[in-house]
Amino acid sequence: MTKTARFPIVAILAALVLSVASAAVAEDKPMILDANNWQEGKDLLPDPVLKRLQAGEYWFKVVPVDPAAFKKNYAQKFWDATAANEGKYDLDPATCGLKDKATGKIPEFLIGFPFPNIDKNDPNVACKIAQNFAFAGYMGGGGGATFTLNGIDTNGQFRRVKAFIHAMGYQGRIDGKIEDNPENLTLQAIGAAIEPQDVEGVSTLTKRYWDWESQDAIWAFVPSTRRARRVNAATRSDPVAGMDIFSDDLNCYAGKIEYYKWKLVGEGKILAPVLRPEPFPMKQVSETRYSVDTPYMEAGYEKPGSKGAPWWIQDNLVFVPRPVWIVEGESSDPYYNFGKVIMYFDKDLYRIYWKLVHNRAGEYFYTAACGYHFVKDGETYSSVYPNLVIGVNDKTNRAALGGRYQSSFVERKWDPGYFSLRTLTRLTD
Amino acid sequence: MTLRGTVALALVLGVLVTYLALSAPTTQTPAVPVAAGPALLAVPATDVTHLELTDASGRLSLVRSPNGWHDAADRTLPSGVVTDLLDALTTLRPITMVDDAPSDIADYGLGADATRLHLVGSTDRPLLDLEIGARNPAWTGLYARRDGAPGVFLVGALLQWEIDKLRNTARAQSSP
Repeated sequence: MTKTARFPIVAILAALVLSVASAAVAEDKPMILDANNWQEGKDLLPDPVLKRLQAGEYWFKVVPVDPAAFKKNYAQKFWDATAANEGKYDLDPATCGLKDKATGKIPEFLIGFPFPNIDKNDPNVACKIAQNFAFAGYMGGGGGATFTLNGIDTNGQFRRVKAFIHAMGYQGRIDGKIEDNPENLTLQAIGAAIEPQDVEGVSTLTKRYWDWESQDAIWAFVPSTRRARRVNAATRSDPVAGMDIFSDDLNCYAGKIEYYKWKLVGEGKILAPVLRPEPFPMKQVSETRYSVDTPYMEAGYEKPGSKGAPWWIQDNLVFVPRPVWIVEGESSDPYYNFGKVIMYFDKDLYRIYWKLVHNRAGEYFYTAACGYHFVKDGETYSSVYPNLVIGVNDKTNRAALGGRYQSSFVERKWDPGYFSLRTLTRLTD
Repeated sequence: MTLRGTVALALVLGVLVTYLALSAPTTQTPAVPVAAGPALLAVPATDVTHLELTDASGRLSLVRSPNGWHDAADRTLPSGVVTDLLDALTTLRPITMVDDAPSDIADYGLGADATRLHLVGSTDRPLLDLEIGARNPAWTGLYARRDGAPGVFLVGALLQWEIDKLRNTARAQSSP
């Protein structure tokens, strides 16, 4: 191309850049945040992420939303239950466990946020934020999805595992209490690898008990040994399949609230990754099951000529500026690999969007971005699902993507017998 | 298979086993490195009575009293942010010695532009004098020197988080 022919293109590009930059100034309009206007992201992203934005490795499609409309991603039934919870609950000071004020014991069952109003001067504020987070996650009641885990370095993908997870909730489900809960569970789940063949059938069964003290019961099954073995709950901080992603990245925190010591250290605004700001519809496929279709989020390594790091999502992901609580969490379990973890909790919807992880030696090493999608059916059912984890190990400059499923399901009446060691040991039969 | 074939296969197997035995590493893969050596603050955090933090944004001087930590204007700081920093210093250890005798400390963000943290105990006993420089390229840690020694070591970036928390809290306290 000659110089004269190139000039108009440069001029057009410059005009485009300028128009994008000027759009960035307007807070209520969609904008692209990238290396050209990275300063706009200064108070909207954790520092290690901002550094990559400045370097041109990351870019963000920012879509502002009306806060009231965003809250409507949760059904009115959830908000009514939340309002009704006002003043009913307290915390067990030793464990951060939820306590019914009327009985002094753990409540039998509740829907909605247990703490509708958060006072940042309350000495237990961080525990209350964490409990609200847990109950937002419990809302849907159960479901499942088949997803992928992709290990990615600067040259592209180096590992891929396809797996599924099926989960059943007892506590906090918007559909109401399941009376038959002989094991006194909060939730139970089965996860298993499907591909590649050498890990097919490697699976776990998790049961979380509805109490303040007990650890999760987790069994792991390896087909080659035909043995299901109980494993420590701290394994949630172990890398999954040698990739830079951890079981505790699901929702950015997948442990029992009582495992961590929580501390509120600030508040601010953050860019929240979501598939879209509005809820997805659900389609009934059987008496109790509903399917939800979501778009695939193509990453840089899958798209020739893409922009940014190979692990950066290119399509179908937007970032919503959201007010957040900044909370530190630290496990008291000596077998847990993480040291101090810094998390950003949505002030209204109580999702964690980002977390920064230090190891036990105090080195920062890992950031996870946790993306979600919302599902809603009128004002009587809603749920929020983790759909994406972008786990980035800044120490090794590698990343992993988790989730990105295109189809998932809501199951409103699981057979509890499915979540058993019998199922675990027969998945590959 | 003939006897001669079996013997030949056994020989090949023997050679392979010998090769594997000789070529296998004699030591095990080292475990994940854990910071060794003494913590930056070798006394309990409760022994610290005076903290001074100096950086480009100014100087923050805090004194412990029975009612908590106070700045020079006698404003009380939320004790959590100070104790978080001190607790971190009792657990953080030099991860690795980066440079025993640096020729240019500016390479590490040390020198005139560095952040300085000075801790004093009762009876004015100096407990720690830390010079804190830039982040390493991966941002996992910070370059630092202690107590006037020339050697530059790496310490976990948790230190930066705790310093930022303290600095931001003090700034918020002092703003009208």
